[in-house]
Amino acid sequence: MPDEEVAEEGLLTPTEPAVQDPLLRELLAENAAPADTPQEQPQPIASPSEEVDCVVIGLGAGGAPLLARLAQAGLQVVALEAGPWHNPEKEFATDEMAQNFLFWNDERLSAGQDPLAMGKNNSGTGVGGSTLHYTAYTPRPLPDDLHLKRDFGVGEDWPLTYDDLAPYFEEVEQFLGVSGPTPYPWGPARSKGYALPPLPLNSAAQLMVHGAEKIGINTSPAANAALSGPYYQEGVGWRQACTNRGFCQAGCSNGAKASMDVTYIPLAVRYGADIRPNSYVTEIEKNERGEVSAVVYTQNGQPHRLPCRHLFICAGSVETPRLLLLNGLALNSGQVGRNLMAHTGVQVWGTFPEEVRPNKGIPGGLISQDTHRPKDADFAGGYLLQSIGVMPVTFAGQVARGRKLWGQPLRDYMRQFNHIAGINILGDCLPHASNYLELSDELDGKQVRKPRLHFTAQENEQRMNKHASAIMRRIWEAAGATDVWDFMRYAHVIGTARMGLSGDDAVVDRDGRAFDVPNLYISDNSTFPSALSVNPALTIMALSLRTADKFLERQRRRDK
Amino acid sequence: MSFEELLPTDHVSEPTRAALSQRLAETTEPYEPQLLAPETFRLLEAVAARLFPQPDRPQPIPLAPAVDKRLAKGGSDGWRYDAMPPDREAYRLGLGGIGQIAQALFQTDFEALGPAQQDEVLKSLAGGNPPGEAWQELPANRFFEEMLAELTETYYAHPWAQDEIGYTGYADLPRWERIGLNEKDPREQ
Repeated sequence: MPDEEVAEEGLLTPTEPAVQDPLLRELLAENAAPADTPQEQPQPIASPSEEVDCVVIGLGAGGAPLLARLAQAGLQVVALEAGPWHNPEKEFATDEMAQNFLFWNDERLSAGQDPLAMGKNNSGTGVGGSTLHYTAYTPRPLPDDLHLKRDFGVGEDWPLTYDDLAPYFEEVEQFLGVSGPTPYPWGPARSKGYALPPLPLNSAAQLMVHGAEKIGINTSPAANAALSGPYYQEGVGWRQACTNRGFCQAGCSNGAKASMDVTYIPLAVRYGADIRPNSYVTEIEKNERGEVSAVVYTQNGQPHRLPCRHLFICAGSVETPRLLLLNGLALNSGQVGRNLMAHTGVQVWGTFPEEVRPNKGIPGGLISQDTHRPKDADFAGGYLLQSIGVMPVTFAGQVARGRKLWGQPLRDYMRQFNHIAGINILGDCLPHASNYLELSDELDGKQVRKPRLHFTAQENEQRMNKHASAIMRRIWEAAGATDVWDFMRYAHVIGTARMGLSGDDAVVDRDGRAFDVPNLYISDNSTFPSALSVNPALTIMALSLRTADKFLERQRRRDK
Repeated sequence: MSFEELLPTDHVSEPTRAALSQRLAETTEPYEPQLLAPETFRLLEAVAARLFPQPDRPQPIPLAPAVDKRLAKGGSDGWRYDAMPPDREAYRLGLGGIGQIAQALFQTDFEALGPAQQDEVLKSLAGGNPPGEAWQELPANRFFEEMLAELTETYYAHPWAQDEIGYTGYADLPRWERIGLNEKDPREQ
């Protein structure tokens, strides 16, 4: 990381983290920040007798923000992350295949009519979780994303409103240094603009501007959690601006992308959080009252037992329900593993006469939310449009699977790589009884039952894809594309431990607290009652901070 | 600039150079199959040679070793079609099934066929309903898709294939300045 001398050209004033919650501000004032802690110091191994305030399982977008919050509040917190702690500058190659270690590569089984691709499409491991390879899209949900059922009579409403979440969206955006347009063209007016101006538009984004304009669709530079200029980060120092590597999905090597390992995790470490990488949870113990009492895990082959007062499971919507099912936790509602959703994500690719070189620049530079609630829709909900850049191995794999080209025709098509550009959607998905996660009888490399994910796109998703494909084809043809083809795809597993108003039909309440187990919290996209028509990372982080604040509030009340 | 010219320059980071150099070195190393039986491995090589014909290269980019190595290690890409058996079994069954298609269509082994007939066998497989008892157990379309995707990703991860498609993204230091339409940094020329 650069030190402060490198970037002291007065580009930005170092900012204090904008803490929304008055209670936390109070707690922060009581717990003065300790001296800077180097990021990579050896962590102590737990002694068998220690009992800590909080254990957090998983250090992605769900776990890292609340870890920082709890540490800032002065609690003794230990984070268990299944994967390693990387040094991106030294370890991250600009090579897709070499970066496969970023994905959760223990096998999952994909069933149903539209089996979900996992691995690099849908999973992560390591200190930072999936944010190590997310594309850093950070659009906010629009207010009506949270009440699909009220508006359409299908799906589920959130037990939270946009106004409950808006302050947290703002806090996350300012803390991460989100680059984006101010004002943002869709959704309610905001009290604060994005932290930085948008990133530059790459070729695919420019083509989408032209094509969309011709058919009357508004576009805008997107909001991305990658820095368009140097930005000061507490616990890190100055983070560098994005160098247009375009490699977000295979790991950012210079800290420009706001993955958790360069944002909330250093903040948590600065306030004393104990990070234990390579720590895979094998068992969650309960006491006679049915509360969580300890977590058993293996670190580098050694078993450990860590007693705790509170547990936060933030392992993502596959590993979280898997842990609950394996340990018989929070199962009374019967909803664990159910309501599995995946964003519609159909991509449209085309060949252009111009040179595109689709590997450069932030992959998702341009957005349109004109299709959020299309007037001619024959489906509930809606979607957003994004331009997409791509790397050669990922693209070639999609060509093989999607176009079934092989032999000379495949090599001929791939020779056009530098003239290829794509556009895709991210759309809502409704829960359905036939879409769920269960434990199979097959064991994985860790000798744990493999999860089996059932997913079949239902009529609503199929209609949305069809609508979106037609619009994207029109945009691409207007922009001059030939040889246009669709790649059907579903991204992000969502909703396997839903939140709700009552333990009769939900696993956790609006604060992320399990109805059945009073000292168990869940924070990740498994709690989403509906999929939302935007990329999930920003909402996961916002909910994570909110869950921490509500937890702290409850502890404070208990103290008094 | 080509891969050969770019690799030693400061445009390529150390971890990137290490990954690419190793991949390149493995290209010319002789390979002994670790998991697949020698005759099954030869069949996989013959199939790979039709899925990626490389008459333009004196030394083709080897594709079968990556599959055998992964299977030997028990490596996974993180998921599997539930309708498919575990990967080792799928490859054994599927490659055996390719032999059965060759026998059914041409009454001989796949490796003994000419390129056009081999392509007929692969078309039958890709079509999803080939002859042969292996395909009663193994979904032909899924096996073909999985095998093709793995060989394709192996091929395009190779520096020679990246040169072939004009990709220079590995040479990303210090930054890309010119990222718009018809724009190139000097090292992309």
